[in-house]
Order: sequence, then structure tokens, then C-alpha cells
Amino acid sequence: MTEIAVPTGQVGAAAAAVEARGAAMTFNAGRPNEVIALAPIDLTVAPGELVSLIGPSGCGKSTLLRLIANLLEPTDGSLLINGKPASQARLDGDYGMAFQQAGLFDWRTVSRNIELPLEIKGWDRTRRRARALEMLELVRLCDFADHHPWELSGGMQQRVAIARALSFEPKLLLMDEPFGALDEMTREHMQTELGRIRAATGAAVIFVTHSIPEAVFLSDRVAVMSARPGRIEAVIDVALGERTELTRGDPLFFKHVTEVREALRAGHGVGGGMEDR
Amino acid sequence: MTRQRILAMFWPVLFGAVFLGLWETFVVTRDIKPYLLPKPSAIWGQFHGNFTLIRNSTRVTATNAFIGLFLGVAGGALVALVANRFRLLRELVMPLAISVAAVPIIVLVAIFNNLFSITSEVPRRLMVTLIVFFVVFLNVSKGLTQSDPTQLELMRSYGASQSTIIRKVRVPNALAYLFIALRQVAPLAVVTAFVSEYFGGTQDGLGARITQSIASSRDAAGWAYVLAACILGLVFFGVAIAIECAAAPRRSRQLS
Repeated sequence: MTEIAVPTGQVGAAAAAVEARGAAMTFNAGRPNEVIALAPIDLTVAPGELVSLIGPSGCGKSTLLRLIANLLEPTDGSLLINGKPASQARLDGDYGMAFQQAGLFDWRTVSRNIELPLEIKGWDRTRRRARALEMLELVRLCDFADHHPWELSGGMQQRVAIARALSFEPKLLLMDEPFGALDEMTREHMQTELGRIRAATGAAVIFVTHSIPEAVFLSDRVAVMSARPGRIEAVIDVALGERTELTRGDPLFFKHVTEVREALRAGHGVGGGMEDR
Repeated sequence: MTRQRILAMFWPVLFGAVFLGLWETFVVTRDIKPYLLPKPSAIWGQFHGNFTLIRNSTRVTATNAFIGLFLGVAGGALVALVANRFRLLRELVMPLAISVAAVPIIVLVAIFNNLFSITSEVPRRLMVTLIVFFVVFLNVSKGLTQSDPTQLELMRSYGASQSTIIRKVRVPNALAYLFIALRQVAPLAVVTAFVSEYFGGTQDGLGARITQSIASSRDAAGWAYVLAACILGLVFFGVAIAIECAAAPRRSRQLS
């Protein structure tokens, strides 16, 4: 076997999952209703890392997520996903997405929902089906492959949405308050599940949330944002090691929660849509 | 049929039977004249006695309704699909479709009658087509444009093209609306075909027979045709629901 030539630019360590350099977003630029949604943002997310974006409503955390997903074009600065321009990364299926609404298609079975992105990427039927079943195993919903979404509970639907987002094995998962509509018990369960799924897939995750404990429990780092204009106020490292149910009672966990809360206050995000649960 | 469904049918059936019984008793004891209100038993007698004639008239009206319904549904869905892509067409048809709902366009059948030969069934079929067309057009247009924003964002994140989004999201979504429209237009097609007969043309459908029977004081016979018209409307409605259940067992329960 001859040595495979490695294209320059990808030599050495793997490219960052996300690399934002001065990425900024202004809506209606130059018009009277101009809104600066995001001041220039610098953010680097390492492969396999989970970074939460937390902040009051209107701090631009969802906008930042959509810039990374290339659903919006930044008005300034640059964004690299796995070392590629965001637009290329979107077409290459470098990331999967999950939203607060599971966004499942009612007319498709659970398994065919997971197959949808694979269909669009041109996979053949047998390979699609096999992958869908693998993903259902990952989210522990094997028995529901041929059910329709309305037969599932909210938490189960959200697990299907995550399975769908991960079906084409992206290295990055973008999540916009995916557990926001779930009840507290289900939410904690889903947080533990996400930790397990992440360990199994090694995907980096950017997780938008309103909940401080959720951000601390899940993240390697929490990016605290503030509004008008949206910016990253502080980035807090969370050193909790492997998360279990015991983590939620760990004094260190509470210390980090307090740390994030104080950072939010410092950024004038006092109470602004924050949840203490 | 399960026990539960038989029980569910018990009260409506009992109510119907009691209603007919009271009607019969009322007419007999109060000695109501048949031209005011015939007895149910007399109506049934006429229905039974004139069955061949009633069946033939029903077939005429049903055929008109069905052809108009078919053309209207196909046309409405197709034009909605094309109009969804071309803004100009949408802006032309949409105001028309919306205003049609507020206008008794059924009177147009009088004009259609002048356009075609006196023995032609075309004016009535055209009338049904037209009425069905606009209802289906409006519903399917709504289904095509009102897709879940989350689903659309997901499709974009997969790098799906516009035509893929139409095929995989917009059309399946519009299908549910098409079935809702079908449930609405199936009985409407019968009503339109039926009422259209009052505006002249060939006099062999149900609507025309009712007029003839009443005019010649054969009141119970007139009511027998009314009964046939009711049954026809129910059959169209039932078939529409059956098609919906067979094709889309999922959404119907949630949207209705």
C-alpha cells in the first residue's frame, strides 16, 4: 500500500468541529429596522466537545446556531465546520440538527423518518433501513420502528429526532432547546441519554438551552451570552468528569450552576427568561 | 363489527325509529293532508313501487355529480400545485377562489344551459366541476404553503433542493388537506348536480323528478325522490371518508 496523500490544510490534528471568526449577524442592515442580532463572535468547538449556549431571550443563541448550520449567512466574519466553509459542510452532511419541536413527519413511520435525510443523500433502501434500525437501537426505540410519530410520547419523539439527526453520522450535532418542551422527569432522562449517545458516537454538540442546570450537566464548556447586541459574555469550563445521576447532587455541580448564574447576571441577563430548574 | 360499535349505533338508530313512529302517528291522528306531509309508510311505498324509475334518475344525478367531482378534484389539486410554483397564476386564481365562496355561482348553470344543446348533461357537470374545483384549490393551496417551519429548516439542513422539499414535505402535507376537501366536496357535488336540474335542461335527474312529482300532486312520490337524494349524498360522503381512511389513516384523526 502506498501512502495516501493528505491534502494540505488538514495535516496534523483534526480540524475544529466549529471555528467562528468574527461571525456577526445584522438583520435588515442599513434600514430603519436594523437589528444587530450578533456582534462579532469568536468560538472554537473541539471535535467531540459539548458546548452549551445559554442566555436570555434575544441574545442571539439560536441565530448563532443557524449561522453554524448555514441556514443563515453571516453578514460579517467567517465560519468553518470541520475545516470547511459552512455552506459546504451543510451540503456534505457534516452536522445533524434537532429542534424544540421534534419536527417528525406524521405520514412517515418512525423508521422512515430516520431514513429521510439518507433518502435525500441518495442511500439505497436496504442500507437506509439497516441504518435506521441501528439508530433506533442507539436511542433504545427498537420496538417502535413501524409506529407513527403520533403514537409516541414527547420524549420518545425527541429521541427519534436525535436518531434522525445522527443517522448519517455527522461529526457535529446542533441542538436548539431540544428538551425545552418536555416535562422535568423526561428532560433529566433525556439529558442522561444524550450523554450516553454522545459517548457512543463521539459527535461534538452545540446545545442551545434556557436552563442553567441543564447546561452545566451536559457541557464541557458553557458559553454565557447576553443581549443587545448578542455576544458571548463568558465561557465557563465545567470539570465534572463522567456524568451520572449522582452528578446532579455533586457540590461541584452546584458551584458551576452558581458560576453560570453569576456570569448571566454580570451580562445583565438577570432573570431574563432563565430557568433555575 | 365490535360490540362497542354496535352499542354506539344503538341510540342514533333508536332515535331515528322513534322519530319515524311519531311522524306516522302525527300524520294519522291529526289527519294531515298528503300534500302537506305524507306518511313515512306512504313514502316508503312509493320508493318501493317506483324503484326502477328512482334508480334510473339517481343514476343520472350521481353520474353528473361523480364526473364533476372527479374533474373538479383533479383540476383543483393540479392547479394548486402549479400555482404554488408560479406566483402570477396564484395571484390570478386565489382572489377568484375566495370570492366564489361568497357568491351563489350555481346560477351560472342557467348560462351554461344556453351554451350547450338542450339534451346535454354538460352544463350540470360543468357546474359541479366549477364548485368543487375552487374548494379543492383553496384547501390544497393551504396545505402546500402551511408546512411546519421546523420541517422546512430540517430539509434545508439536509441540503434538499426545492423540488425535493415539494415532493417530500409540501405534497404529503397537502394530501391531508385534499382529503378534508374531499369530505366537504363529495356531498356538495351531489347537492350541486341536484340543484342544477332546477335550471332547465334534460329532465331525467332526481331534482327534476321531484319537481314533476310535486307539480302533479304525487307528493309521496316526491318525498321518495328526496329520500333517494339523501341516500345518494350519504353514499358520496361515506365513500369520501372510506378513501380518506384507506389512504391516510394517520392525519385525519388529528386534523378533524
